Amino acid sequence: MEEVRAELTGSVWRILATVGATVTKGEELMILESMKMEIPVESPVDGTIESIEVAEGDIVESGTLLAKVALS
Amino acid sequence: MSFSWKEALDKIEEHREVARGLGGPERVQRQHDQGRLTIRERISHLADQFTEVGEFAGFRVRDSSGNDVGRLPSSYVCGLGTVDGRQVAIGGEDFTVRAGAPQTYLDRYKGGMGGFVEDLAHEYRIPVVLFMEGIGGDVSAQDEVGHSYLVSSMSWKRSIELMSEVPVLVAVLGSAAGGTAGRAVLSHFSVISEGSVLFAGGPPVVRRALGKAIDKHELGGARMHTSVSGAIDNLVTDETEAIEQIKTVLGYLPQNVWELPPRGDRTDPVDRSCDAVLDIVPENRRRPYRMSAVMAEIVDRDSFFEMGGEWGKSVVTAFGRIDGIPVGLIGNNPMHLAGALDASAAEKQIRFTDLCGTFHLPIIHFVDVPGFMVGPEAERGGVVRWGMRAIQALVEADVPVVTIHVRKAYGMAVSATSDPDALGLRIAWPTGEWGDMPIEGGVEAGFRREIEKAENPEQFRREVEERLLAESDPWKTVEAFGIEMMIDPRRTRTVVAQFINASVNSMRTKLGPRQRPWSMRP
Repeated sequence: MEEVRAELTGSVWRILATVGATVTKGEELMILESMKMEIPVESPVDGTIESIEVAEGDIVESGTLLAKVALS
Repeated sequence: MSFSWKEALDKIEEHREVARGLGGPERVQRQHDQGRLTIRERISHLADQFTEVGEFAGFRVRDSSGNDVGRLPSSYVCGLGTVDGRQVAIGGEDFTVRAGAPQTYLDRYKGGMGGFVEDLAHEYRIPVVLFMEGIGGDVSAQDEVGHSYLVSSMSWKRSIELMSEVPVLVAVLGSAAGGTAGRAVLSHFSVISEGSVLFAGGPPVVRRALGKAIDKHELGGARMHTSVSGAIDNLVTDETEAIEQIKTVLGYLPQNVWELPPRGDRTDPVDRSCDAVLDIVPENRRRPYRMSAVMAEIVDRDSFFEMGGEWGKSVVTAFGRIDGIPVGLIGNNPMHLAGALDASAAEKQIRFTDLCGTFHLPIIHFVDVPGFMVGPEAERGGVVRWGMRAIQALVEADVPVVTIHVRKAYGMAVSATSDPDALGLRIAWPTGEWGDMPIEGGVEAGFRREIEKAENPEQFRREVEERLLAESDPWKTVEAFGIEMMIDPRRTRTVVAQFINASVNSMRTKLGPRQRPWSMRP
């Protein structure tokens, strides 16, 4: 099971994936906003979304758990 | 004793049987069961032709009373091979024999830490490819010697010298611990296969030292080293891919630093219009894109090859060709940290810049950087020091540099993309924007008091921003010759090819080992 963590501090702008969805490595799960840019959060592996740990508008720090992806 | 040719030749054959047997059928089977090849198989996959040296060096197996009970081949195989038509020194541990332990039982090392194979590369000035799979020095090696020895009595000189003379390419396939791990990272380009591990000390050592139990993959797994430590450059799925990647990188590099990198086929026309870049770079400035896609569009088709892609991800470092000429590509990657340069990205950039400088590859910088990364994590990681080293590395590289301003170029990080004391050739795209700081953040910081004092702070801030934004229209800089060129991005390949082709004239006069003008990195 892979943990997806924020690589920098910012806010959750848009959540794209839903719990239970099948995703491929590199697929965008959500978009953060930081440094006046859209920061994509990609799945590190092929798998299924086990959980989404944040909601749109949440402030996240570098290292905050964003989602969990169960390996397929 | 009388001599007979037949007996003498038979004896050679007999020794050959022992050599071919490696560590015995059981050990060979175990290697295969774990998805790994033997060193002889690896060499035959890599080289079209191979002349082995030290084929009959061996290890006498003794029982506990000291009686000879058999012979094993030595734990290292090496020789001179031909790889894609090029002479290359090749060596690697034989893990089926004593887990690839150091050859303290021989009068001369064949490889592993210096040794014949490295002397061969040095003497003939040819690349060396090393297959690393070994446990490094251990107590049984000491047992053979009969007394404890200082590791500082063993020389790394040859291995270090090779770094400034010839390509040193390494594949970690299996376990690489201690000295073997150290040898592996002393290379220009390295790969590690899924499931392989590399560490200074393995789980038993960690348990004794720290009282901590840890799985070997968690400790020094292939994924960790290619995505966190950056100790190894590329992760490969299997041994076949390892060999492919080694050959690919070899194709960009010369036999030695006294030659130019080999020019490839000139089959992709330089006047090809790079239309795709208009689709890759979004019109919305907030939206990221893959810089690697931009790079791949500019360079010769199918010549793009990324190095270290899973680590220091806010920068992309890759090889490519322009009209057949091997080039180094360095580009900020907006997909990570908004393209900001943090310590690991800077470290990756420095290493790749040094590699280009060593082997005379011109560098093409693709700029989209908002600055050094900011924030407490970045500062704790030493971003300022690492960023300054990146600037120094570029200045020291002394290779032709062409800089393409794709989008953002703010702050000190931009100094690491072009050297004003060299040609300083910078080519802007209409999407280019630059300055000390982006206007939005800059106004809030630089005009804070005035904004606070204003009757309508929000309006005042906006007005200042609008004025400064008008001033920062890239065309104003272009008209002041504050940047050398502004082009239609679709012409990038054509324009860059002109300059890179011309730059070969300069590189021809600067062959040989790089002389570093500064005495240390800050």
